[in-house]
Amino acid sequence: MKWIVWYFLLQAPIVLLGQDTLTTYKKRILEASELETLFSYYNQDGPNAAVTGGLGTEALTDATSTLVLRVPLNEDDVLTVDTGLSAYTSASSSNINPFDGNNPADAYDASSGASRTDMLVYFNPTYTHNSDDRNQSWSANAYVSSEYDYFSLGFGADMVRRFNDKNTELAIGAMAYFDAWNPQYPIELRPAFEGAVQGYTPNFQPFVEENRNSYSLSLSLTQVLGKKVQASIFMDVVLQEGLLSTPFQRVYFGDRKDFIVENFQLADDVERLPDARFKLPIGLRLNYYLNDIAVLRSYYRWYTDDWGITAHTANVELPLKLGDRFTLYPQYRWYTQTATDYFYEKEEAISSLNFYTSDFDLSGYTAHQYGLGIRYRNLFSQKRFLIFGLKAVDLRYAHYRRDTELNANIVTLATTFVLD
Amino acid sequence: MGRFCLIALLVCSITSCAVVKEYDKVYLNDEAMQLGFRSSERFETTFQIYREAAAGANGGKSGGGCGCN
Repeated sequence: MKWIVWYFLLQAPIVLLGQDTLTTYKKRILEASELETLFSYYNQDGPNAAVTGGLGTEALTDATSTLVLRVPLNEDDVLTVDTGLSAYTSASSSNINPFDGNNPADAYDASSGASRTDMLVYFNPTYTHNSDDRNQSWSANAYVSSEYDYFSLGFGADMVRRFNDKNTELAIGAMAYFDAWNPQYPIELRPAFEGAVQGYTPNFQPFVEENRNSYSLSLSLTQVLGKKVQASIFMDVVLQEGLLSTPFQRVYFGDRKDFIVENFQLADDVERLPDARFKLPIGLRLNYYLNDIAVLRSYYRWYTDDWGITAHTANVELPLKLGDRFTLYPQYRWYTQTATDYFYEKEEAISSLNFYTSDFDLSGYTAHQYGLGIRYRNLFSQKRFLIFGLKAVDLRYAHYRRDTELNANIVTLATTFVLD
Repeated sequence: MGRFCLIALLVCSITSCAVVKEYDKVYLNDEAMQLGFRSSERFETTFQIYREAAAGANGGKSGGGCGCN
């Protein structure tokens, strides 16, 4: 594996520092400002909630609204401002305190109490500069997001070099996130619950470290392989450190007595995961122009990390042109992963272990996703709403099913306008 | 894995094989041929990052954020 990393690293500076010829005509990178509005609705349910130790409802709904504004600052530079909010209702939030609802506490019911809803807001500006000959570009971006128990701050930069008559493109990027938890522990593990249930004395210690830092280095190489085919290879090297456990995800040990209040089993502990994780995903995209009606878009990714997980992802999409302006695109995605070394189903872990989780997102499983989208595109933006010229509308639906019985649906509507 | 590395190296090594002139890129410039993911896919990518262990190598976000719901 190391030699692939070295191959990219050694090739990058040679290519990036190379010279290329100047073009005499300079086209604006972005002719006019564009506004993109995106809305998505997502829901899921399943029987393996991590908040209730691997057994319980995973019900979640999320509505996300996003605005992306792209403004050409001059012929070469573009400022992109991406901001949005995501409102969600989830069993994982509500069952942090399962006793605050109107019904008896139960892992298979999401409590109706105040903790069931939350909101994520984020802001992500990006500044991009392109060289006169359009063979180089670089960008810098920042990211900030906030929700009740989590704050994230990120900074990143990318550099792209095109050469070989723009038939080859090499990109390098780096990103760092500095995140902080406001840990929310299960209600029965908080000091106020002490002594509420006779004999219940979990050996629980709050986390000392409450920060999570993530660093990633991204490399990609795009190559035209012929008049109708082009491919990209991507690689990310990611290191995370700090609090990588989720503080409200319960764990039930097989060697501890069970305590049940109403219909709800009280936690023995919360998940404990190592404070560092190294991830290595490598992906390959290949697109082939079959004919004037159909294009084949394909993607494969291999992933490994030092928590014992290996995963494969394959995706195929077949955009079908319905006239000049409409495109229909069916999609199928297959995903499989092995379990982390630290995964235990409910009551399989024992209290003497150092690391354990019952989060089925880290278990071994296979998932299938079926999607269908339709896109309308008007290159000349003839349809106008006040100062907005309609450029594109994209409606997309996907159904996700995994063999752990988790099912999810997502609908996305994206609309792009050109501003006068 | 070995097979994947071989394919990866082949793609990396053919950078000077294909030179398609700009005026011959009518198919490559088709919107459906673009190699990046569509903006309408971003929310799907987000929930996949939350629900799956694997992330990254797709031009999207590969770290940061909670994803704990």
